[in-house]
Amino acid sequence: MQTNFTSAQLADPHMAASEKILRSCVHCGFCTATCPTYLLLGDELDSPRGRIYLIKDMLEGGKPATAEVVKHIDRCLSCLSCMTTCPSGVHYMHLVDHARAHIEQTYKRDATDRLLRALLAHILPYRNRFRLALGAALFAKPFRPLLAHLPRVGKRLAAMVALAPPRSPAVTAEPAPLTRADRRRVAILEGCAQPVLQPAINAAARRLLARADIEVVRVAEEGCCGALVHHMGREAQALEFARRNIDAWITAIDQQGIEAIIITASGCGTTVKDYGFMLRDDPLYAEKARRVSALTCDITEFLDRLDLPAVSTAPKRAVAYHSACSMQHGQQIRDEPKRLLRNAGFTVRDVPEGHICCGSAGVYNILQPEIAGRLRDRKVGNIERLRPDIIATGNIGCITQIGGGTAIPVVHTVELLDWAHGGPMPPALERAPGLNSRVVQFPLA
Amino acid sequence: MSSIAFPTPDPAILARRDDIIAGLAALLPPECLVTSEDERRAFETDALTAYRRLPLAVALPRNTAEVAAVMAFCHREGVKIVPRGAGTSLAGGAIPQEDAVVIGVSKLNRILSVDYANRTARVEAGVTNLSISDAVMPDGFFYAPDPSSQLACTIAGNIGMNSGGAHCLKYGVTINNILGVKMVLIDGTVVDIGGQALDPAGLDLLGLIVGSEGQLGIVTEATVRLLRLAEGARPVLFGFDSSEAAGECVAAIIGAGIVPVAMEFMDKPAIEICEAFAKAGYPLDVEAMLIVEVEGSEEEMEAQLARICEIARRYGVKVVKESRSATETALIWKGRKSAFGATGRVADYICMDGTVPTSQLPYVLKRTGEIVASYGLRVANVFHAGDGNMHPLILYNVNDPAEQAKAEAAGNDILRLCVDAGGCLTGEHGVGIEKRDLMRHQFSEVDLTQQMRVRAVFDGRWLLNPAKVFPLDGRIAA
Amino acid sequence: MTIVPTKEAEAAEAVRAAQSSRRTLSIEGGGTRLAFGRPIQTDDTLSSKGLSGITRYEPAELVFSAWAGTPVAEIEAALDEKGQMLPFEPMDHRTIYGGSGAPTIGGIAATGASGPRRIQAGAARDLLLGVRFVNGRGEIVKSGGRVMKNVTGLDLVKVNCGAHGTLGFMTEVTFKVLPKPERTLTLILEDLDDERAVQAMSAALGSPFSVSAAAHLPADVGGARARTALRLEHFAESITYRARELAKVLSAFGRAREIEDDESRALWRAIRDVDALAQPKDDMLWRVSVPPTQAPALLARLRQAGLSFRALLDWGGGLIWIACTENAAASTVVREALGGDGHATLMRASDALRASLDVFQPQDAALMKLTAGIKASFDPDGILNPGRMYAGL
Ligand SMILES: Cc1cc2nc3c(=O)[nH]c(=O)nc-3n(C[C@H](O)[C@H](O)[C@H](O)COP(=O)(O)OP(=O)(O)OC[C@H]3O[C@@H](n4cnc5c(N)ncnc54)[C@H](O)[C@@H]3O)c2cc1C
Ligand code: SF4
Ligand code: SF4
Ligand code: SF4
Repeated sequence: MQTNFTSAQLADPHMAASEKILRSCVHCGFCTATCPTYLLLGDELDSPRGRIYLIKDMLEGGKPATAEVVKHIDRCLSCLSCMTTCPSGVHYMHLVDHARAHIEQTYKRDATDRLLRALLAHILPYRNRFRLALGAALFAKPFRPLLAHLPRVGKRLAAMVALAPPRSPAVTAEPAPLTRADRRRVAILEGCAQPVLQPAINAAARRLLARADIEVVRVAEEGCCGALVHHMGREAQALEFARRNIDAWITAIDQQGIEAIIITASGCGTTVKDYGFMLRDDPLYAEKARRVSALTCDITEFLDRLDLPAVSTAPKRAVAYHSACSMQHGQQIRDEPKRLLRNAGFTVRDVPEGHICCGSAGVYNILQPEIAGRLRDRKVGNIERLRPDIIATGNIGCITQIGGGTAIPVVHTVELLDWAHGGPMPPALERAPGLNSRVVQFPLA
Repeated sequence: MSSIAFPTPDPAILARRDDIIAGLAALLPPECLVTSEDERRAFETDALTAYRRLPLAVALPRNTAEVAAVMAFCHREGVKIVPRGAGTSLAGGAIPQEDAVVIGVSKLNRILSVDYANRTARVEAGVTNLSISDAVMPDGFFYAPDPSSQLACTIAGNIGMNSGGAHCLKYGVTINNILGVKMVLIDGTVVDIGGQALDPAGLDLLGLIVGSEGQLGIVTEATVRLLRLAEGARPVLFGFDSSEAAGECVAAIIGAGIVPVAMEFMDKPAIEICEAFAKAGYPLDVEAMLIVEVEGSEEEMEAQLARICEIARRYGVKVVKESRSATETALIWKGRKSAFGATGRVADYICMDGTVPTSQLPYVLKRTGEIVASYGLRVANVFHAGDGNMHPLILYNVNDPAEQAKAEAAGNDILRLCVDAGGCLTGEHGVGIEKRDLMRHQFSEVDLTQQMRVRAVFDGRWLLNPAKVFPLDGRIAA
Repeated sequence: MTIVPTKEAEAAEAVRAAQSSRRTLSIEGGGTRLAFGRPIQTDDTLSSKGLSGITRYEPAELVFSAWAGTPVAEIEAALDEKGQMLPFEPMDHRTIYGGSGAPTIGGIAATGASGPRRIQAGAARDLLLGVRFVNGRGEIVKSGGRVMKNVTGLDLVKVNCGAHGTLGFMTEVTFKVLPKPERTLTLILEDLDDERAVQAMSAALGSPFSVSAAAHLPADVGGARARTALRLEHFAESITYRARELAKVLSAFGRAREIEDDESRALWRAIRDVDALAQPKDDMLWRVSVPPTQAPALLARLRQAGLSFRALLDWGGGLIWIACTENAAASTVVREALGGDGHATLMRASDALRASLDVFQPQDAALMKLTAGIKASFDPDGILNPGRMYAGL
């Protein structure tokens, strides 16, 4: 596509990078067809091609973002379905990240919007604050209908509260890993929200790795990957998180010899794998960031490369595998999780319209509850048509989002794998009515 | 960039913009009306992005009644209308004008009913081409015309352009697969033309409407034919040492009485571009490649392939590679269908669409290469060879006005060449603005006048998509 | 007076002369289809007979062009020599109209005559790639061309196809052709009623075996027992396989009998030309198009209305030929029996009846307005076959 940037504008490396992306877009419109918001709204402005055009115009003109532009960019889920579809290799993610940062710098949101966003940005990425807030949300749950009636933010606050799990998960004690010099070592991102919401996921991952004789090193200083704030356009905060994590991991790499940084939430995975790009212009961090990104992998990518012991008793369970957007589009991981589940004896079914987002998308379901709700219903409808016993996915956001719309238990892929390989039954299955009674207990591996 | 002219916007309309928008706002809810400059900008072009015009407003009605209301209003007010589907036209068919309201049918995106016993489906015009096949595929049916853009383009746009695709060699183009439409005429009257029956009740109005590039009315619904999927289908790649040999092979296959389902051509530059994107296993050490698809049972495919291979050998085929699995088949077609988009990774391009008699393919291919080279540019060829429908992609840098001018000049030379070789300017993309000024190379003044007289029956005031198809001078009034 | 131009320019000259002197023209080819449409009285006749001969035939490109007055027989012979055919299997109207003239290719284009293979290979209009014609102003206009894919400009080809010469005097036509099938085989099911027959045809047409024609001859129409015929045409290797598979698809409808090659061709020729309903000559003949599955209900409605008739179903049920004793009331009965999505053409009746009844299905006002406008855009003074399709047009 033709572009109109001045050479002065292109001197800014951010601008130059975006110009390159815009140049590669041929405006063929293929991406519109797989964009969840276009599917629902039927308006090109709410499609990738439309957004790309809005961004192009905004950046070329050097204009501050307008309310109209912000509306359509805000509606973008960052699901990156458009990137999978695009034959021209347009890097929409980097373009929209740039746009979001530009919006954050040039656009003044109304007071309630600002408040909500600040709240999210100051609570979610911090494990302890989030834990506290969750307590408050549980407390607020009975007041949801009331909240929904508050002007402007009401619906969104209600959405936030709705997402809180019905009971606050217990903080499980972790077995201290044994340390042996010749063992393979990895780190697992603890991050922010997930360990609070579902500590069972990383615990399952650890048990799986332990069975393969791989040690999980605790990297105390790490924290939120920055994805949440990054998607809100808070670039500085995101980069700060990234640098902190990089420092922590580089130390672990250099001193403890970890071979991989394993991520169990694909939302985080997409971002950590992008650290290299995010910090490409930071002379102090560019190289380190690149190293970290290169070692980062999803837990299923990692497990797929291992020789997991065979499963002796096959769990006769039909699993609908929901591929998180950040998994299939953000990281282009498609077959590994399904292969692992099949090898562990599950019957895996592909969800029709599987390329469409469930509406979770980080904090999207809080900021855009209406679209998110419609997408969730569409997703649940597609999944329920398969009549699965269990829904598996690799991202905490999807688990909460889909779980809120169906009675079928939703679990993380590694929880199922761990169960099949001798671990405990995933908590969500134990809670599921009717399912636990039919459950065959696996022999301990 | 501006070698193709647009009519000067009507200042009276521009001056009344606020009133016009107020009038539209009374007919449509806010989420169906785009008026801010930022937002209108996103509609200023289609897939011919070198040309852009900011529309007066964009209406995105949700049903036929809303389309009719908007059209009646525009007609009353003398406001021009540009119909828009998905905006994937390569000919600039959906590019707006400053004094025109774009009416987009993207919100009309439901499949209304599927009738397998009669092998038809009723759809709203804004459904995408592929979504019809997706909906009926589990039951073993498909909608045959398959433009490479089928993922995104709408039935409305397909009807506008009478679009074709790789598999049209056997199954025909849009007109051969549409049985009826609901259309809103310029004054807001809604007419139903055709239906599920296989022939027209009177004059073949459908034959006029399909391919009329949004100049006769706005289509809001269509009845399409569904076909039963063959038992199996298998694409085979044939690599040749020269484009000419591949072109001759195509003519020979058709001449031998074999009509495969699809017969697609790619030259070396195109193969490289598509292979890099799709990793479909295209041979990289050949000058040209044909993708020939056969279908039927296993034995039938074998038998047909044997005949085709036999002919290909006579033309010195170097590589023969059959698809071995459904995944491979999907990749082979993904590569082909992404060809234009994937070319975007390498350079900007304009895509020609002339058709020539198949016997002329080798000659026209050779001349095309020479023409483009004479302008100092490069070309990639990827096209529907079985029906002689060529798509030379002229590669250039759109940010360089001199190159843009050269690319357009080369394109025009190629299209004239196609006409002179016994073919036509456009086989499936339509005239739009792109080939509008070349129309006199193919048609006499009398031919064009007769077309315009028919056009005037539907839209005597030239309100519907008026910048397209017919040269701007010499237009006739009602 | 009958004008027989031997050059296109002469034809144009003749029309110009007619226009300036306001003389109306009937357009005639072989004269085998003159009873098709409303009877018309004109000052003169313009015949295409003098414009005869194949102008170009490129077997390797699957196209030929011919002057409009070229006898179909001549074209079929030329195609035959190269193993090719007119894919849409045009009907020979002499069977129902009688007459001894030679049908012309222009007549086929003008009437849009399409036979049984229409369901698979397309109608005449789908295969007509290009036309040259003289409009009512005496101008020579061309549209389309000789390539299969062509979307350049407004398509005037299809609207002329089936316009019965009301828009222009066609001088040259270009058709796409196809290779003749190596082998043809027809499966015949017996004793099915209309309902079951249409179901069987739907099942066959919804199968992956490329059924190229599907017709139903009820009991006492061309034979004592009802016959439902399904045709396969393909490479020799394929036919045996497909016949076997198709028989499986149809097993619920009974055991299918097979006929092949000449016998099969003769059957389809008879169906194409509606042999079974051709006699008696003074029977009124209707041609009805409906969505196939609505055919049985339509026939039932006719019976309920007390109409005594014989019918033949082609196009899987989508095309119904109906013969009954001539009477004006039948028109109401037939047209009222149509569902919302069908239309009926009065194919054969006395001149008096065809003059007083709607021969072509009446259309709603908006469509009639378009039709009248289109007619005027080609023929502003209404001199070409005036009234042939609609009174006053
Ligand atoms: C990468 C790429 C590949 C392509 N490959 C092919 C191919 O293989 N074969 C092919 O034929 N084309 C191809 N095209 C061209 C294009 O996709 C087709 O012309 C398509 O039919 C346009 O559909 P659309 O929905 O995008 O319509 P638009 O581009 O929006 O409109 C097309 C025309 O139809 C008119 N129109 C739109 N809606 C209506 C309506 N409701 N009523 C009346 N008129 C209307 C418009 O005014 C315009 O003139 C390709 C395009 C791209 C970008
Ligand atoms: S698919 Fe890619 S090239 Fe096409 S419009 Fe979308 S982003 Fe641009
Ligand atoms: S990231 Fe998802 S929501 Fe955003 S434009 Fe792309 S496909 Fe649409
Ligand atoms: S994905 Fe989300 S929850 Fe996990 S660490 Fe990153 S931002 Fe925090």
